[in-house]
Amino acid sequence: MDSFHSLMQGFSTVITPFNMGMAAMGCFFGTLVGILPGLGPSATIAMLLPLTFGMDATPAMIMMCAIYYGAMYGGSTTSILVNVPGESASVVTTFDGYQMARQGRGGVALGISAIGSFFAGIIGTIALIMVCVPLSKFTLKFGPAEYFSLIVMGMLCIVFVGGKSISKSLMSGVIGMALGTVGIDVIQGAPRFVYDVPELMDGVSFIVVVMGLFGIGEVLVSAEERMKIKTINVKLRDLWPTVADVWQCKWAILRGSVIGFFVGALPGAGATIASFLAYGIEKGVAKNPERFGKGAIEGVASPESANNAASSGAFVPLLALGIPGSGATAVMLGALMLYGLKPGPMLFHTNPDFVWAVIASMFIGNVILIFMNLPMIPFFAMGLRIPYRYLYPAILLICIIGAYSLSNSVYDVWVMLIFGVFGYFMKKYDIPGGPMVVALVLGPMLEYNLYRALALSHGNLATFVTRPISGTLLAIAAVMVVVMTLKAGRMKKVLVEEKDE
Amino acid sequence: MKKGDRVFSLICMGLGLWLILESQKFEYLTKFGPGPGFLPFWLGVILGLIALFAFVGTFSGKRKNETNEPRLPGWGSLGRIGLIMLVMAGFAFFMNGLGFILTVFLFVTILLFVLEGVNILKSLFFGVMFSAFIFLIFRYWMELDLPRGLLGI
Repeated sequence: MDSFHSLMQGFSTVITPFNMGMAAMGCFFGTLVGILPGLGPSATIAMLLPLTFGMDATPAMIMMCAIYYGAMYGGSTTSILVNVPGESASVVTTFDGYQMARQGRGGVALGISAIGSFFAGIIGTIALIMVCVPLSKFTLKFGPAEYFSLIVMGMLCIVFVGGKSISKSLMSGVIGMALGTVGIDVIQGAPRFVYDVPELMDGVSFIVVVMGLFGIGEVLVSAEERMKIKTINVKLRDLWPTVADVWQCKWAILRGSVIGFFVGALPGAGATIASFLAYGIEKGVAKNPERFGKGAIEGVASPESANNAASSGAFVPLLALGIPGSGATAVMLGALMLYGLKPGPMLFHTNPDFVWAVIASMFIGNVILIFMNLPMIPFFAMGLRIPYRYLYPAILLICIIGAYSLSNSVYDVWVMLIFGVFGYFMKKYDIPGGPMVVALVLGPMLEYNLYRALALSHGNLATFVTRPISGTLLAIAAVMVVVMTLKAGRMKKVLVEEKDE
Repeated sequence: MKKGDRVFSLICMGLGLWLILESQKFEYLTKFGPGPGFLPFWLGVILGLIALFAFVGTFSGKRKNETNEPRLPGWGSLGRIGLIMLVMAGFAFFMNGLGFILTVFLFVTILLFVLEGVNILKSLFFGVMFSAFIFLIFRYWMELDLPRGLLGI
């Protein structure tokens, strides 16, 4: 009942022209970046973040959240019409979505993906409230030792689940953590790795790193070859699936939503894994699995529901624990800190108006998105016809403005350009950028909690294992390491055997 | 691909070693716990070890789905990327002197005309349009403090 009352308070905060406008703007930008290949929600949120510095935290966060889940809505459009996923979370939608478009059912695929996303968004937000509130009460018991262990576990989760190669993810994460040590240290206030560069005293800005790695880096990859996109045309009247179509997808949408939410709540797993898992399960339970890959409507509904529910799930670690589970939530966590808020379970107690307004905005955002998406998809799809040669200078310019506006300094632009080059090579060699960004945000938190835990226990290292919650979290982390090591060893054995054969 | 992995592992090994050496400049332990040198030291050790394992791993059996195709594009595409970066570096270099709006005009015109082969009139037109858009949205509407340069625009 408490939660319901708080949620209603949240709605009353959101329903102002300005906040509604920010939600609509976020939905619009989110859908747009979801549709356009080559720019993800992390980079977009980072680019637009400096432009929100003049406003309150609530409308700014409402917009950032809307960009995040709006991108999940938009990502399906390119997957279905062009066979090029706008987002990694929409890769699996190409399997059946594009086939449907080729069979003249592209509009129905777009429609069912919007309807599935809508239901998943609503289910995901309800689940977010149901999970987040008790979890945030439980995590109030957390001290520095528990936070240290939680961050260790979260980091390992991101590394093990996130990328194609564990070693590359680990290296990326450790480099991110090393970048986090630049600047004034949290223990003695001593400058580290500053080398007489005054700007480095404040550390390496994660926003600049995100814009470089995911913004400039992605643009360079896309601009390397002149991108040409051929779309399949869709008419407005073809966008509505029949009642029979929706009925056929009811379980796919529900299953996708549940899977998506729980996978999304795991640090590192995210919308991409959720969509693949949901598709796999849907194919597994289907009476005629051979239809999948040839234009099965459930093959679109399930992953699209899953990736949208996953974006709601991703807010669980952010709001209840104060740790990010993905690149985009890492940017949002950093944004909260820039706005002077302390992310974590205390947020529900210190800033309930803010938290509940953001949660309420997710319901409203999903309603805006379904109205924006169903009738406007053909117009959004027209954006795909803008030649990339006119699009990428605009993206680069917004990146430059975003970086410059952080502290009105060209220094940040230079740093962004350097990370842009890194981002290009990392993309080319399959080195995931996500662990680096998350570690850059979590590194200083890890160090701070390590120091505080040891100071409170008078330097006793056993505090991390003797405190029950901390010990359990570290035990989970240890099991993860053992399982992943064994799995890697087994895979190696299989590969060597394959080679011998 | 393996060559790229080897280079990345070697870079990480070097970075790990550098972190270990640099961390010696800071206090490792304080009275109650880690000092400023603690985390960089262990990050250096961990990074070095993972990189070493990854480097050794590149000499073992070929992985499934692994191709020997080069990851980087040909010199033409690399040159194109280099030019984009050069134009962006030029932007960062000149924006304070020339002013943001004028630099946007030059940036867009050069990118379109030189790199994209768009004809000069069209390039100039888009240069003006982008500058006007940036001026209206970011300077006029959002009131961002973008550099004005010598001409004061």
